Amino acid sequence: MSTVDTSAKRSALAPLGKPFAAAGGVLGIVAALLPWVTFGLNDGNWPDKSTLQFFDAPFLVTGFRWHVLLLGVLILVAAFAPVPSKGRVVRALGWGLTLVSFVNAAYITVKGGGLGAITALDGATAFGGVVGLVAGVLAILAGYGIGIEPVGEWKFKLSTPLAYLVLLLSFGAVLYAVAAMLTTGGVGSANPYAGAIFLSFLGFAAGVLGALSGVGYIRWLSALSEQHRVFSVVVLAACALLLPFTEAGNEYWMTVAANIGIYAATAIGLNIVVGLAGLLDLGYVAFMGIGALVAANFSGAATAYFGFDLPFPVAAVIAAVVAGIFGAIVGSPTLRVRGDYLAIVTLAFGEIFTRSAQNDIGGFTNGSNAIPGIPALSLFGAEFNKSFTIGAVKLPAGVLYYILIVLLVAATMAVFANLKFSRIGRAWIAIREDEDAARAMGIRTGKMKILAFLIGAMLAGLAGAVFAHKNGTVSYESFKFLESVTLLAAVILGGMGSIPGAVLGAALLFVLPEKLRDFEDYRLMIFGLALILIMRFRPVGLIPDAHRRAEMVERADENAEEAHVEAKKA
Amino acid sequence: MSVLLQQLANGVIQGALIALIALGYTMVYGIIQLINFAHGEVFMVASYGGLATFTLLPDDLKKSPAVALPLMFVGGILVAVVVAVIMERFAYRPLRNAPRLAPLITALGVSVFLQEAVRVFYPNAKSNLPYPKVFPEGNLTIGSVNISWTGVLLVVLSVGLAVILQTYINRSRMGRAMRATAQDPDTAKLMGVNPDRVIVLTFIIGAVLAGVAGIMFGGYLNNINIDMGFQNGIFAFTAAVLGGVGSIRGAVIGAFIIGLIKTVAGQYMPGGTQYDYVWIFVVLILVLVFRPQGLFGEPERVRA
Repeated sequence: MSTVDTSAKRSALAPLGKPFAAAGGVLGIVAALLPWVTFGLNDGNWPDKSTLQFFDAPFLVTGFRWHVLLLGVLILVAAFAPVPSKGRVVRALGWGLTLVSFVNAAYITVKGGGLGAITALDGATAFGGVVGLVAGVLAILAGYGIGIEPVGEWKFKLSTPLAYLVLLLSFGAVLYAVAAMLTTGGVGSANPYAGAIFLSFLGFAAGVLGALSGVGYIRWLSALSEQHRVFSVVVLAACALLLPFTEAGNEYWMTVAANIGIYAATAIGLNIVVGLAGLLDLGYVAFMGIGALVAANFSGAATAYFGFDLPFPVAAVIAAVVAGIFGAIVGSPTLRVRGDYLAIVTLAFGEIFTRSAQNDIGGFTNGSNAIPGIPALSLFGAEFNKSFTIGAVKLPAGVLYYILIVLLVAATMAVFANLKFSRIGRAWIAIREDEDAARAMGIRTGKMKILAFLIGAMLAGLAGAVFAHKNGTVSYESFKFLESVTLLAAVILGGMGSIPGAVLGAALLFVLPEKLRDFEDYRLMIFGLALILIMRFRPVGLIPDAHRRAEMVERADENAEEAHVEAKKA
Repeated sequence: MSVLLQQLANGVIQGALIALIALGYTMVYGIIQLINFAHGEVFMVASYGGLATFTLLPDDLKKSPAVALPLMFVGGILVAVVVAVIMERFAYRPLRNAPRLAPLITALGVSVFLQEAVRVFYPNAKSNLPYPKVFPEGNLTIGSVNISWTGVLLVVLSVGLAVILQTYINRSRMGRAMRATAQDPDTAKLMGVNPDRVIVLTFIIGAVLAGVAGIMFGGYLNNINIDMGFQNGIFAFTAAVLGGVGSIRGAVIGAFIIGLIKTVAGQYMPGGTQYDYVWIFVVLILVLVFRPQGLFGEPERVRA
């Protein structure tokens, strides 16, 4: 088993584990109270008065320093309380602390024109960033010292009402985290620090999530939510519907959230094809494009192909059906082609779509002029692009789109979850694991694979129809190869085959560009690098699916065993 | 008739370019069954490397093509090789035993990363960059057909390098090691072959050929942009599949067929040049569906 290299590390660091963790925790708390910056930035103080002097106002810690303080306290607690797989927890918190400290210190250094900004200048001292970094690294080392044990398994079962309560609270926390994630750093480019603040928040969130996952909570929760999946979907949808009432409830964030929702729904569809059936699709966004084009052509826009408009539900159904037909066509080579060759076939279909749409094939796409002026939706007398009042509460414009999309995502999730645990879903998973064995067991693999493509494409087509009305313009530019790769990355980042994973992945990948406008030029480069790193270090994704996880863990152990044998040989 | 002949000539030149890239695809796939998506970007990076080399040359050297052109080849190939080796070492090697999809996705990531890295860090790379005029000028005219001397050079280089490569793989000790690793890595290991070295060498050879292609592409079309890697990479992959993945001869012949389809279909098929890509992809799909082993490949082994 894989005890070789951890025990080697343990021998060097083992006696230092707890002291390091304690030192890391204490230093983290100290760092939160230290001043971080030696100057005032042109745009005002670095968020939340980080020039506070040591102990001048110990209880006035806000912003990222509040996160640093929290992480420090958590490290101390994790070091001395009886926590399952302590090493993992401390290591994750340490990474969080390191990231938060690094992002802030680096930003201040860059803005302040050198290391003087975070160490000493004009006689003042501001070692907060340095101390925070040291604390973080100490905690990471402490994690290795204590030992990286397997993720904790929580065996105990809950009675149904208690399980419901746990799910409610957990998803409520998710809602809070999502609202915080959307609003940190403010709207768009209004706050000059937005990018850095957001990255810092991500570091904090990553640390806490890592710790929760190390303790085994996330695994337990996802098992629990799969057990009570109907309830989970309802609660999640309810939480999502509450988002407009949080601080994220303005037009800007509703628009962003609605866009994320559209891509999340598409990502869930892709998750059926890639995550469940194991068929890599590199041209998936084309189905979304087909759906959007169909809806646009039936929308009554000036350049639409058909001179009449259909009510949205009808148009959406037609869009889904047309996309589904194309899905079946694209899927049909799966009868003969497997593995990465199939990926290339789907890529080729995607490129054919882009090219044809660019050249206005059949007059349906209006080429590079796009189809503009698609009217906003209006159902049951409500205009979707106007603001909206329930009783005394005035909801921002775009909220109805948001609600529609939440319902769409919830419906997609329900379809996905039910399929996954049905006979069809089991067939897909069997095909993914071993196609020949699946066929030997009497699964009609060809039919099943085409069905996967068909259903995935229909979901994408539906999402595309909403996309058309939401954005008002449909251009082939929105459905190129890079979008397919981004969707795939969302599925993989979240965890293949996992429902919350796809949503989380889509949310991260489509909210990041919104937040990181400062880094717009580097966005895709970082994205490429992230793909490489994820595949290298966490190929199972952030919220792995139970089946997938078993498969990957087993394989990792095999590799470790091989490495062990080889090490012995050498 | 003269239009057809001219398009056939253009097709042969395009094919020669694609062949140089396709060889890299086919060799890497033959040995580690990886579709190295980023190979097209290696070709693009080489082109920019050559351009950078030229820009850095002192002015008097810039004026003498006999010195500048070889130096550009050296610079471009060097950049391509370094990128390919780093890519193999840090992106692909750690994933050698991972599930099949993982390295493919990594390759996509490498591809996006390289493209963006050039776009962000190379000066003015956001627009098309003109390529220096150090290539042979003028045209070779046969009847009504005009072929630029750069095009002739491209075809000669492409076919020549392919023949050398074929001979190397069939005759040399290292070539034998490569064939052995492609057939059965474990047995090859037992016979004293170091698979890591073989794989790195494969990547290096692929990068050298892509480097030559990158420089010649700039010379032939007179300007380069960061999208060239993805497009030509896909063409080259199609060619490699068409010829039968793993086969050197197949890749070259496949590349010429693809080049001819592109120019001839662009001329005669409905939709014109705007749809020439589409015909290539249609061919790719048809080949994969009806003859996945390609024209010269071995019958398909069971793939996971």
